[in-house]
Amino acid sequence: MTRPDQPIAHLSGATGRQFWRGLDELIDQPEFRAQLAERFPALARHAGDWRRRDILKCLGGAVALAGLDGCERAPDEEALPYVETPEGATPGIARYYATAFEYEGIAQPLIGKTREGRPLKLEGNPQHPASRGASDPITQAALLGLYDPDRSAAPRRLGQPADWALFDTQIAELRQQLDASAGAGFRLLTGPSRSPTLLRQIAAVLERWPQARWHAWSPVNDPSGQGQRSPARRLLLEQAHAVIALDADPLGPGPLQTWHATGWGARRRAYQQGDGAAQLLVAEPTPTLTGVTAGEERLIAREDRMEALLQALAARLGLTTDAPPLTVAEQAWVTKAAQALADQRGRGLVLVGEHHPPALHALAQQIDMALGNLGRTSQAVPRVRAQSAGSLRDLTTAMAAGEVQTLFVLEGNPLYAAPPHLGFANLFVRVPLRIHAGLHANETGVASHWHLPLTHSLESWTDGEAADGSILLTQPLVRPWTSVRSRHALLAGLLDDPTTDRELVRATWSLDGPQWAAALVQGWIDTPTSVAAPAVAPPQPAQPPAPPRQPGLSLLVRPDPSVWDGSFASNPWLQETPKPLTKITWGNVVHISPALAADRGLANGDLVRLAAGGNSITGPVWIVAGQERDTVLLHLGHGRSAGSRVAEGVGFSATPLLGLPAGAEVRLTRIEGHEAVVTTQHHFEMKPDEFVRFVDTAGEALPPEKPKPSFYPPQHSKPAWGMAIDLDLCIGCNACVVACVAENNIPMVGKEQVAKGREMHWLRVDRYYQGSPGEPEHSFQPVPCMHCENAPCEMGCPVNAAVHSDDGLNLQVYNRCIGTRTCSAYCPYKVRRFNWFDYTGDDPPELKAARNPEVTVRQRGVMEKCTYCIQRISDARIAAKKEGRPIADGEVVTACQAACPTQAIVFGDVSEEDTQVSRKKASGRDYDLLAEANTRPRTTYQARIRKGAREA
Amino acid sequence: MRLAALGIVLLLLGFLLGAWDYAESSYATQAGWVESQPVPFSHQHHVSDDGIDCRYCHSSVEEGPYAGLPSTHTCMTCHSQIWTGALPLAPVRQSEQTGEPIRWRRVAQLPDYVHFDHSIHIDRGVGCVECHGRVDQMPLTFRAVPLQMEFCLDCHRDPAARLRPPEMVTRMEPLRWTQEQAREFGQRVLTRQHINPSSLDDCGICHR
Repeated sequence: MTRPDQPIAHLSGATGRQFWRGLDELIDQPEFRAQLAERFPALARHAGDWRRRDILKCLGGAVALAGLDGCERAPDEEALPYVETPEGATPGIARYYATAFEYEGIAQPLIGKTREGRPLKLEGNPQHPASRGASDPITQAALLGLYDPDRSAAPRRLGQPADWALFDTQIAELRQQLDASAGAGFRLLTGPSRSPTLLRQIAAVLERWPQARWHAWSPVNDPSGQGQRSPARRLLLEQAHAVIALDADPLGPGPLQTWHATGWGARRRAYQQGDGAAQLLVAEPTPTLTGVTAGEERLIAREDRMEALLQALAARLGLTTDAPPLTVAEQAWVTKAAQALADQRGRGLVLVGEHHPPALHALAQQIDMALGNLGRTSQAVPRVRAQSAGSLRDLTTAMAAGEVQTLFVLEGNPLYAAPPHLGFANLFVRVPLRIHAGLHANETGVASHWHLPLTHSLESWTDGEAADGSILLTQPLVRPWTSVRSRHALLAGLLDDPTTDRELVRATWSLDGPQWAAALVQGWIDTPTSVAAPAVAPPQPAQPPAPPRQPGLSLLVRPDPSVWDGSFASNPWLQETPKPLTKITWGNVVHISPALAADRGLANGDLVRLAAGGNSITGPVWIVAGQERDTVLLHLGHGRSAGSRVAEGVGFSATPLLGLPAGAEVRLTRIEGHEAVVTTQHHFEMKPDEFVRFVDTAGEALPPEKPKPSFYPPQHSKPAWGMAIDLDLCIGCNACVVACVAENNIPMVGKEQVAKGREMHWLRVDRYYQGSPGEPEHSFQPVPCMHCENAPCEMGCPVNAAVHSDDGLNLQVYNRCIGTRTCSAYCPYKVRRFNWFDYTGDDPPELKAARNPEVTVRQRGVMEKCTYCIQRISDARIAAKKEGRPIADGEVVTACQAACPTQAIVFGDVSEEDTQVSRKKASGRDYDLLAEANTRPRTTYQARIRKGAREA
Repeated sequence: MRLAALGIVLLLLGFLLGAWDYAESSYATQAGWVESQPVPFSHQHHVSDDGIDCRYCHSSVEEGPYAGLPSTHTCMTCHSQIWTGALPLAPVRQSEQTGEPIRWRRVAQLPDYVHFDHSIHIDRGVGCVECHGRVDQMPLTFRAVPLQMEFCLDCHRDPAARLRPPEMVTRMEPLRWTQEQAREFGQRVLTRQHINPSSLDDCGICHR
């Protein structure tokens, strides 16, 4: 086992560019190599038992027998035409509808693609400013959530299947009781939804029964259950030339990621073109996407140092006089931050993480106000809900007092996610009537009298608020195929209101026919009153006494980048997506710093008990390079015990340590045992090279490469497809990875297979470290197939299944492939994936319906890889030919490109000079990955730029 | 000993020949085999006797990848007026009453890893008859040609001789062209529409 307390010393003397992917790689060369050798040549273990001739004999026999496969008679298929063809429905032609998907109270504007009535792919709505066509991984995976075979399909009463008729009679009785008592004892607990129709319905409930109470809660927004946290601002990152983030992660996972990343990407691209600056300075205790994007300008500081840093920043800018004492590194960072803000007056932005106290937010806004940034780089968001909804603590207080007769939990899973100090679980089971409505019969659903299945967002009518404050309409892409009801229908049923969901939504907005139709087509409602109120710095509340700095450990509990607060734990696309920074899949860990690991003698995967506030959790540790020495990070959303076969038994729950008061004592003790944590960080390793290249400032070019001689003639074709990936724009968010999964029917293989290096993602995002484990610099590099002009894989294939097309695509012909895996061995980029098993044959019918019919579902024993979305190229080619014109630039958009919020991926025809991709490739920052191999890749990269502003 | 070796070799040879023969047989390719259908639909009657154009029923052939099967309502446009009580049409009437689709069995069927688009073939001037045969002479429909890759490639590598004017695409009778005339017309189409046969046999044209 490798331990970081062994020599890291040799690193301190290392110079030059050294990339490493994990600490194991850095520390322990021989052992680690032995482990890799064991893992990758998969038969290495059995090498002694087999003789070469036996292997050849078997291989020959297998090849001969494989030929027989072609003789099989095709099975009879049925064809079922429509009885009456719906208007405009043509079999085989996709239709697109504007819709939206809401999570954590923010709706994502979407365009849903359907074929033969089945939703097949979600893309961001390109017309909407909160998306501009992009999306985030959770939104991309919402499609699979719709088809989830473990979703509740019918109501359950006391755990037994029941029907809606019985529920309706019980609700009628309840309604009579509530009418008699004016609603006394009735409590409604909702999630963070901001759907205006839902809020209108809740208001109607409260109006009819004045004694009833409504509570809104989410473990992410409000971990302690005390009520709304600091007022958030709406960030306009496109306008922000200098962003100072104190333990804030605007580019990180979550419902605002697309909005923030599109804004940041637009700013960064403008900076690359010489327009202004795009500086990002981050101080944070644990690496986040924002922090690692800041590169060198990232300060590692404990969570409780943020206050001092912000005060020092205010003092440096002349706003206050009392500057707290800082360390040398902190001083340097604050000086830089103050300089950047002073240079960018009116274009700067100071951010504080949402979990920090209101006083800190007020100070940040004061700085922004003083510099004239407020209203330009951020706007105030009016909070409508906070006034009327009670907190979770109000609810538990009432439950403890026995005032709650009926609790209706509409969405959410408080039994699993509520902070332990509220004692929700014990109080919940004492409520006389408990009703839970949700997508899954989760922990709360199982403990309720009634569990009611909800419609998925993609099969319901609703509305919601986008990140920019506009109102989005959600229209169903498909009619529910199980016995489910929407949340609007449930509330309407409670009020005995027969209006349909569609009419309920429409009534909220009182639009006439043409307006309504126009709103449905574009996906949002043009509200005359812009929600963006002019921002005014709030009066600074009295400074609460800061808790004394604790010398011990500092615990952070954050939502999981993949499964969020557990709402998406049943989604295998998300479970199997490697988490951006640790590349861990299927589970969670206790993230600790290398120094802490060295102190305690811990290695990756060692089990520890983490105790605080009278509760504890047990889980494997993971050493995170670049984490603050005494900071421990946990992710929510795992360790589920009910709800779905996919969610159950993955990882451990961090809920017992949720909502601790600031400064609580945290104890970390090692316990016996070790758990294998599954990470992809060492999979598909390439020969060492300068993978990620850097330039210092925008406009600087990489040293020119000498053209390499080759025996192969250069390829000329028209079109010639190629891709450019700008590493300066990549934030590592994984939206491309999940979009590729959705588009290309990529099978999920599960934890055990991922551990063996058999994950099937066609596009991986490599994460490299440089420098010391304590303070490394991170870089991300998405690696799809390079579509080499001189492709080594093509030379290796014995059956000619890897071939080149006229337009420069490196094709893989599944029906020719016999699975020798030679191509994969020959591929220097390690982008080929082999189907070790039949991953798809036994899929339930729902999952089969989710597949893209334009892409072949691969069988066992064949090799597959990125195709540059050849189905989209074919579609564009056929459309262009029918119209007798060439394919226009930008007409073919690959799935990864479409999803990318920062537009880091550009695809197109490289034979024309005036295409977006050619312009990208003409930049001085363009380089080939593993240039030495001279494969002439069609996918090239643009170097990262270290600085965010020109030197004065 | 030698005899045994010879026997084994012959056996293997026979086995291989048998396998080859099987793969090419009409049983495996299903060419010429009539599928039993819920309704004994006669293309011969509808096409030759009634003169209905292919596109009346296979209405999406010009727009999308699939030619499409007629909806029950399309059948009933005529059959609500004629042959209203005919026994063989009972499944059609039943479908209309119950809303359950008619379950046809597919005749022309390609493997799942082949992506064929009707619309572009029609647009370029490939006649229906090229792949579906003389449907107008089929009382019961069967697969006219073994839809093997060889068949597709023959045309993709040399499309010139098989193209026809757009208005002739659904015509079943052979065009009264000599081979030279057909080829000359095809060559003109290839030039005008920038069709490059050398890239038409890229694997990625059909397999993706």
